[in-house]
Amino acid sequence: MAEPVPHHDPITSRSMSGPLLVASILLLLSLVWALYDEFYGLRPWKGYQEYFTEVYSKFLEKAIAEQTAREEQVTQSAAYQELAKQLEAARAAAAPREKEIQDELGIIERRLTVLTDLFATARGRVSALMYEAEKASFTGDARAKERLLKAVEEAKKEVSVANLPTADGKMETLRLDYDSLESEYNNLKERKAELLTELVRVRETVNELNARMQEYMENNTLGLSAAQLKGLLNKVRHMPVEIKQIHVLRTDQVDRCESCHLGTREPVEITLAALRDAATDGGKRKLSATQEKYLRAFVSHPERDLLRIHDPERFGCSTCHGGNGRAASSEYKGHGRHKYWLWPLYYRENFEAGCQQCHARDMVLDYSTTLNRGKELFRQRGCIGCHRYEGFDDERERLQATQLGLRQINLQRAQWEREIQQSIQKGDTAQTNEEAQRYYARAEQLRLRISGLDAQSEQLRRDARSLLREDKKVGPNLKEIRAKIRPDWIPVWLENPHAWRPTTKMPRFRLDAHDVQVISAFLWQNALKAEVPKQPLGNAARGKQLFETRGCLACHSIGEGENEIGGNFAANLSRVGEKNNYDYLVRWIHNPRERLRPYCPLEKRDLTPEDYAKKGLPFVFDLEHPTCPNDGSELQVQNATPMPILRLTIEDARDIATYLMTQKKQEPSSYAKADYLNDPKLFEEGKAKVKFYGCAGCHEISGLEEEQRIGTELTAEGSKPIERLDFALLTEDAKRGILPDGTPSPRGKWYDHKGFFEQKLADPAIYDKGKEDTKPEAERLRMPKPNLTPEEITALTTFLLGSVDPGYGFPTSYLYRPTGGPQKDIQEGWWIVSKYNCMGCHVMRIGQRSALMDMPQYQGEGKEQLPPVLIGAGARLNPDWMTKFLENPALSKTDTNRNGVRSYLQVRMPTFNFSEQEIQTLVRFFQALSAQEQPYLPPKLAPLTEQERTLARQLFTHPAAPCLKCHAYGDPTHDRTATAPNFVLARERLKPAWTERWVVDPAKMIPGTSMPSGLFRREGNRWVFSAPHPPAARSYTGDHAELLVRYIFELTAEEQRRLIGRGVARAPSSSAQQAVNLVKSH
Amino acid sequence: MDWHQLWEITSTPDNIPIVGLLLLVPFYTWYAFRQALENDRLITQLEKDPAMAKSHHRKTFPYRPEWPREVHTWPYLMRIEFLAAIIVTFILMVWSITLNAPLEEPANPNLTMNPAKAPWYFLGLQEMLVYFDPWIAGVLMPTLIIVGLMVIPYVDANPLGNGYYTFKQRRIAILSFCFGFLGLWVLMIVIGTFIRGPGWMWFWPGQTWDHNKLVFEVNRDLHETILFSWIPGIHTWPGKIIFGGLVVGAYYVLAALAVHKLMTINDHTRKILNRMGLVQYLTIQFFAVTMLGLPVKMLARLLFRIKYVWVTPWFNI
Repeated sequence: MAEPVPHHDPITSRSMSGPLLVASILLLLSLVWALYDEFYGLRPWKGYQEYFTEVYSKFLEKAIAEQTAREEQVTQSAAYQELAKQLEAARAAAAPREKEIQDELGIIERRLTVLTDLFATARGRVSALMYEAEKASFTGDARAKERLLKAVEEAKKEVSVANLPTADGKMETLRLDYDSLESEYNNLKERKAELLTELVRVRETVNELNARMQEYMENNTLGLSAAQLKGLLNKVRHMPVEIKQIHVLRTDQVDRCESCHLGTREPVEITLAALRDAATDGGKRKLSATQEKYLRAFVSHPERDLLRIHDPERFGCSTCHGGNGRAASSEYKGHGRHKYWLWPLYYRENFEAGCQQCHARDMVLDYSTTLNRGKELFRQRGCIGCHRYEGFDDERERLQATQLGLRQINLQRAQWEREIQQSIQKGDTAQTNEEAQRYYARAEQLRLRISGLDAQSEQLRRDARSLLREDKKVGPNLKEIRAKIRPDWIPVWLENPHAWRPTTKMPRFRLDAHDVQVISAFLWQNALKAEVPKQPLGNAARGKQLFETRGCLACHSIGEGENEIGGNFAANLSRVGEKNNYDYLVRWIHNPRERLRPYCPLEKRDLTPEDYAKKGLPFVFDLEHPTCPNDGSELQVQNATPMPILRLTIEDARDIATYLMTQKKQEPSSYAKADYLNDPKLFEEGKAKVKFYGCAGCHEISGLEEEQRIGTELTAEGSKPIERLDFALLTEDAKRGILPDGTPSPRGKWYDHKGFFEQKLADPAIYDKGKEDTKPEAERLRMPKPNLTPEEITALTTFLLGSVDPGYGFPTSYLYRPTGGPQKDIQEGWWIVSKYNCMGCHVMRIGQRSALMDMPQYQGEGKEQLPPVLIGAGARLNPDWMTKFLENPALSKTDTNRNGVRSYLQVRMPTFNFSEQEIQTLVRFFQALSAQEQPYLPPKLAPLTEQERTLARQLFTHPAAPCLKCHAYGDPTHDRTATAPNFVLARERLKPAWTERWVVDPAKMIPGTSMPSGLFRREGNRWVFSAPHPPAARSYTGDHAELLVRYIFELTAEEQRRLIGRGVARAPSSSAQQAVNLVKSH
Repeated sequence: MDWHQLWEITSTPDNIPIVGLLLLVPFYTWYAFRQALENDRLITQLEKDPAMAKSHHRKTFPYRPEWPREVHTWPYLMRIEFLAAIIVTFILMVWSITLNAPLEEPANPNLTMNPAKAPWYFLGLQEMLVYFDPWIAGVLMPTLIIVGLMVIPYVDANPLGNGYYTFKQRRIAILSFCFGFLGLWVLMIVIGTFIRGPGWMWFWPGQTWDHNKLVFEVNRDLHETILFSWIPGIHTWPGKIIFGGLVVGAYYVLAALAVHKLMTINDHTRKILNRMGLVQYLTIQFFAVTMLGLPVKMLARLLFRIKYVWVTPWFNI
């Protein structure tokens, strides 16, 4: 209470102006802040647009200056000047008549203006009266009708006064009633149309010359013309500052990305370097960090072609890229980095995930190298062994579905058969004839339906056979390891496959020494105890040569580290000598599909010779003998390997095997002895481990053929809620941007799908961190370490990120899922092409390189030994022939140690034992890829007349085009040096239209082909031979190329032999190149 | 001490009002009590000096007799209210510019968030769900709270304390308010915001909200505890119903006695009690006892892991 009482009452005497002033100022400041926030803070795109106008104008000004200079140059050129002169002349010629027309048109126009008004008024009045009259007539009011018709007559007689200009510049006054008004009006209109038509005719030459000048300019300058650029400049200078959005009406999607990314769709290409140059005035000024950021946002879309297919007006931006297209208040929000936005922008390295969202059913896509690589890895590295993914490795599922279908058909059949019996019985005991007839008819109908069912069931059975053949495993068949492998090697391999063979697709499992022992023991004891025949040793040097030329290297690689050459589709064979049995290897190279024992899916076991002996059958099982002796079901008679049969002789196989057995780093005897392999006590434990780790996903293992995949399905892994990805004890670290090794993550928080996948792929056990000692083994994460490079991890991550539920963040109507037609054929075909690594040997896409192309032996002259390029193969090959060829590339049942078409190639088109369905799909695929109509009907070629045949022979054997010099013709000594197929095959094999395009300009189809281009030149509307014409050509007025093709399609082996008999093949020139020179010199 | 976690919780836009609440509620409580106690001293002084009591109408202290007895609303009250309005507007402006509405991802019925929290002002109700079955915590209790608040003017038999802060003259009323509002409502909101983490588990401030956390807790109904489970027939429905009814009944009797004790604790309270009718008193008793039941149940649950006391096929308490 020490406080003194103030003299004056504080309530009435204290002034509050101080606090009020402060508070008011604060309020005012907050208002200013709110206004700033409203106009700039929440609208950062304004800054972008203002700067864009500035920089882009400078950029365009520079471009205009350059383009003007170029155009100036073109204008100076003689050709252009000549055109300009012509144009001037044409203009002068057309001018007088043009003027006359224009003058007359002017007067007509003015007269029409006056008349139109008068006529329209008069017509309006008459029409209205006529309507009334018609209506009166309809209601039957005769008097009214009469009266109205009279009124119409009167109205028509009424005279209008028109003041019209005339040709001499005076005015005339016409008095016109309705009819003359109408005819005058129509006459003028007619005359106007006549004059306009004439005007076009008069100007024709001028317009044409103008177009030619413009074309000449465009052909001689790059990109947009200066005038077009000026148009752009004008547009950007007057560009309003506003939100620029794409509104896709169909899906009601709104993307405002272009409010900042202003250059994305500009018609000129805007690169960052050019833009920076413009912004800094050629490096004279420094840019602030914000300006740098702005510039990065302004560049053009890097893939213009892609943008053409996926027009942003139809697809928007965020459909492919992710991000929050509507948000324009900050980069962070627009890019969808907010933790509650479910579809963030894909990071740069994972952009192609956007493709996968809709194109999940495409195995190979243009413009998405990373994604293609990811899919390839997903299949090749055996991810499919444990993880289900729609479309991948689904043969077994489809087989089950087929079998289910068969069972249902059988049930239906049985039911209908019962019904037939019952109907007949009912008919027999029916009271009336009609009733009996009805029952009998019913029975008859059911019989017909059953025959339909039989056809269905037959097709399903064929499908089942196909699918059984198509089912492949990623890893080798472990049933055969006793015959194939040295036992001591197994534990070394299991312990760490990557140490033994760094490039292997076998992942490293989390096994301790004991696990390795029990698994090895189980596999060894569980394998088939069958002998393979002993083989004598071959010639290693010849084997090496065969290995390097027959095409093994398209899939396999050899040599380690720096010295590694070959494809990465199959195993590296550098240390095969340490692990394999020679006898088995010979058998494998000779025919990798040959199994030791056939497997019966019905009995679920491998059949033995005794099974066959019991039925008195020889122990023979192959594609011709595929049924089970016990129950008649379809057997698995081939090894489930994609490795094809190279159709080598057994001697060749021995040579190659002998060579491969020399490939070793250490002697097999130096491996530690593994005697425990035969310890039966380890068997059960080993089996449990093998089941636990899902080994049967990739390998065939006796007793585990029906094992299911052990991993989680990944079809929609990218859209799995983040909460369902188990970051385990790393959750908090991930949310705070600390990597598992304790270092800060370069992109901050990694608590997202990308972070999860990347860490998981780098080290699958990472999410067991901290739990190693506490978790029971059976609950541990089982995924093995796949040994991936950072690029491969990015590729797989991209693939998984794009693997989303249909409609996750984008409308389902965008999904690319053709249900038929060429699109579907192409889609399905790529799966097979990739499954069998066709692209290891063949070039199938523009820009793609096969594994063989980069090898030293196929450079320079060796190029001619490369397998054929298959771009456009569908346009070239007759599909029926293609079917035959794919079935049997030797094109012969007996003479198989050769190529059916290109016998001169060392590298061999192998026999893949494709299933019926695979062949159909492939043929359809090639046809669709070349936009060919299916089915193919070969066109009928006009037969050659005697005169034509003579000329054709002369062309065919002309010294300037010695066809038979390079093309094979069946003589073994010549064919060895040939570089092109035999003509006799052409009729069945080729399509005539393609052949004609080919002989005219082969280099256009296959750059670098040894077939010479320029054999024919264009003359009018026909192709004629370029070299001096043979005598018979003088009187021939037809197309030479077409004639030659018709000749080739009629060519028989006898005719060819006759020509060779005449010695024409030994033409003076020694190579095709000289022939070309000869052609060119003319 | 996980500062990152603490920062994350306190800085979430949702939780800003509660952080404010944490500071403002104690401050204004203290401020109000300071004024009330000051007034109490004045009241004591006035009671001693009838002359002063006659002239003194402004219930402030200190006071000079020559000061006007009354002042005009305008400008003396309005200017202060105006100042307050400006300051509040300023705060709201800054708040709305700097913090966005706490929107989250689109709702997905297949995937609910964890922890799934009600808006801050409902967190108290949500916290009650831990202790009672939804019917009680979600329907009955909120209804009782509303009805109880509506009933106050009709059962308040104390004419004192209108228009000025005082503690002495309204002790029971103020204490019940503090208990009900601060102790139950505000405290439960704070618990719901800062303490309840993933899985609605109890995390002390500074503990990491670990989604993988596992705790071992077995909650039992009262009749299942070893104290009572031996009673024959207690595990049958009639047994459970009768037992629970008895316990709850016993609680109501005992708590009512305690409240009655409080109401007769001194002359002042007895005087108020005397002014009340029977219905008024019974109403007060009912609400007070029911309100007290909440912390009792909370403690039973948190300390003794009692799930329900009274288990019936229709409701559980």
